Amino acid sequence: MKAHTGDKLTISGHQVGEPKRVGRIEEVRGADGEPPYRVRWIENDHVTLLFPGPDCSIEPMDADHETKGADQ
Amino acid sequence: MKVSDFTWREPVTIDVGDTIAAAARMFADAGIGSLVVVDDGRPVGIVTDRDLVVRALARGVGSDGRVDGVMSMGVVALDADDDVEELYAVFGRHAIRRVPVVDHDRVVGMVSLDDALVSTASQLAALSGVLSTQIVFPHARDEAAPPAVIDT
Repeated sequence: MKAHTGDKLTISGHQVGEPKRVGRIEEVRGADGEPPYRVRWIENDHVTLLFPGPDCSIEPMDADHETKGADQ
Repeated sequence: MKVSDFTWREPVTIDVGDTIAAAARMFADAGIGSLVVVDDGRPVGIVTDRDLVVRALARGVGSDGRVDGVMSMGVVALDADDDVEELYAVFGRHAIRRVPVVDHDRVVGMVSLDDALVSTASQLAALSGVLSTQIVFPHARDEAAPPAVIDT
């Protein structure tokens, strides 16, 4: 898994009704974009140092911006 | 106070492809209750003794099942240089009892809620000792003259 600062990180809910968690990567601590990442969560603005698991997906910041632009 | 001021335990890891039986043996051999699950050396989850009971035994998953099927995915961690307030916050926000401590991208230790409580309690005991001494021997090191009594 590789990421850049500013990328969007999403953790899918594991059970029915469990919301997914979405955050923004503020810092990449590993070499060459590898974890751990400092993530600021959208829901509460808290920052967590995270090694993502298999339930995690990362979208490039640019792609997210393009999606938002297409929705508008 | 920093996270590094707490007592750390050496992190014990298990490979993502290992079995539930292997995890149980590691719990028994190391006398611990949680393992960091690694994939190619990088943390991807945490598995606890309770996970083996609730997610494996209770659901009829055999001891030959993979440990990544019962682990909690993702690993919330702390920097050794983080303030202790961040440690308390992580315990509260994520409803967890054990947090890996990292040095850059490597897990170098584990701090549990129990460790934090014991460490904090011992500091309170030390403070209590100071306070007791000051109560029993007030101004013991105060070389200033006692206040004068003024007749009115």
